[in-house]
Amino acid sequence: MIGIALKMLLGDRLKYIALVAGLAFAALLVTQQSSIFAGYTLRTGSWIRDTGAADLWVMDPQLVFTEDNKPMLERALYQVRGVDGVEWAVPMYKGWLNLRLPDGTRVTTRLIGLDDASLVGGPPEMVSGRLEDLRRDRAVIVHADQVGDGLLLKRGLDGEGPRPLRVGDTVGVRDHGLEVVGTFRSSPEFFWDPLVYTTYSRALQVAPPDRRMTGYVLARCRSGEDPAVVALRIEQRTGLEARTPKEFEDATMSYVLDKTGILVNFGFTILLGFVVGVLAAGQTFYMFVLDNLRHYAALKAMGASDALLARMVFVQLCVVSLVGYGIGAGGAALTGVFAEGTGLAFQMPWQVPLVGLLAILVCASLAGGVALWRVLRVDPALVFKS
Amino acid sequence: MDGLEGSGSAPLAVRCRGVWKTYGSGEESVHALRGVDLEVCSGELMMLVGPSGCGKTTLISIIAGILDQDRGEVVVHGADVKALKGRAKALHRGRTTGFVFQQYNLLPALTAAENAAVPLLVLGEKRKLAVQRAEAMLERVGLADRARSLPSQLSGGQQQRVAIARALVHAPRLVVCDEPTSALDQDTGRRVMELLREVAVAPGRALVIVTHDSRTYHFADRIARMNDGAIVGVDAPSAASR
Repeated sequence: MIGIALKMLLGDRLKYIALVAGLAFAALLVTQQSSIFAGYTLRTGSWIRDTGAADLWVMDPQLVFTEDNKPMLERALYQVRGVDGVEWAVPMYKGWLNLRLPDGTRVTTRLIGLDDASLVGGPPEMVSGRLEDLRRDRAVIVHADQVGDGLLLKRGLDGEGPRPLRVGDTVGVRDHGLEVVGTFRSSPEFFWDPLVYTTYSRALQVAPPDRRMTGYVLARCRSGEDPAVVALRIEQRTGLEARTPKEFEDATMSYVLDKTGILVNFGFTILLGFVVGVLAAGQTFYMFVLDNLRHYAALKAMGASDALLARMVFVQLCVVSLVGYGIGAGGAALTGVFAEGTGLAFQMPWQVPLVGLLAILVCASLAGGVALWRVLRVDPALVFKS
Repeated sequence: MDGLEGSGSAPLAVRCRGVWKTYGSGEESVHALRGVDLEVCSGELMMLVGPSGCGKTTLISIIAGILDQDRGEVVVHGADVKALKGRAKALHRGRTTGFVFQQYNLLPALTAAENAAVPLLVLGEKRKLAVQRAEAMLERVGLADRARSLPSQLSGGQQQRVAIARALVHAPRLVVCDEPTSALDQDTGRRVMELLREVAVAPGRALVIVTHDSRTYHFADRIARMNDGAIVGVDAPSAASR
């Protein structure tokens, strides 16, 4: 009877295509939008993941996410170093400063100051120059993908027209001249101000003076120490906040989702895809069942039980769901392939296809539920009505 | 009433006693059957005839076990059909009853052989075996060469022959036919009735046919005339034709 159910389904080619198309569209929308949502949310933590050397990020307790600016007193570094279980700890500066490009273009940048001795917390990949070049006089490094974008010399020099910032160019921060000695590449981020790296001491020289200048203290735990336990010790001893990279990433993600409305926007689109899928598939499947009602009635008259008819409808639904889902999710994955390098935030972790599949199964169940109810209620005596 | 009882010594296949059926309630209620008594013997071809709305289809539906009477008793091959419920009733129908419908009700996506095999598949027969048995039955109804054809590729008469093969493939002890010739021209209708007479009537099997078509009355063993929800007479075909 399963074969008959499938032949009934595939025999009505037009409705079959309409059903699969409806569910495929819903699957595409749900999976694609979920993947873009996942891409954006994962990007909120890119900078933390790229700064991978530390077990713990120590920060002002009032700091809620990476783009918050609540520096600490410099003594925080020494307090952390004094906590049992800490192998090493280094300072990091992070501040928002105006960078004046050689042609006078001014750009707000995120200036990161790395520990002079270790350069811990630097970008994951150098494109030109070496990270150690930061130890040269007045040195900074800039993002290779931003030199022609956020760090573009819009006016250009001596009538040459707009051009990217180059290694060797001199940039200014509060009347301090700094030289670009290299370029780096890091993971795409949710946040947009260009990243500029220098050393911690140089960052303190060029930044507006303040009693509180240390953005973070990056700490490594001794071998065998549980970072969560060490974090608790740091918090108890210093009154500062100590987070594992994952905790800091989650806090940043939560804050962005909470404050930007991105979750509501994507959630609404995903819900819309789901509703469209339910309506399109539901209507088509119901029409399919109505068209075949006489046949279901005949099967019932010929001895088919309700359970058998339900199994037939279930198989029909499963087939259209899985085919529709396959096409939709495949289409969403292709979006990701084609969008590579375009800047579209697209990440498809395994949870996304799974959620997409569940959504389509729920969608099909809702669509099929009404149709099934109609099939089970069909009066077999219908076969004797002309 | 004369003739309501079985006609001979053959065992009784269907026995209806005081069968009432009412649709709706209150002032809008319609009595479709008013105390119908009827007996059909095994090996007998019984026709139910009468004007539209006289209760023929309701009676055949109750005999076939797809509708319950309000009052009275219907026993089919010893089983009180109304007493059966749910799955047991469906199983009883599947095993004991074959159906021939006015509009054939063939599944358009299935071949003739697959359509004829449906009752066996419903009963849980393996597909290959069911189709083999269906092909053998199609051969008996003269459609061996059209076993792989879809209903849309068959004429009305051929489709009704597939429906007859479907009704007989699982060797049911009761076959109910609802206006089997009304959608067919005169010649095709006659050939379908000849076929029913030839292959469906068998010892141990009863046929109950609802029809308007007086040209087919002579195929019956007996004819029950219905009017206004009651059987007003059971005659031999020659008497009914007059």
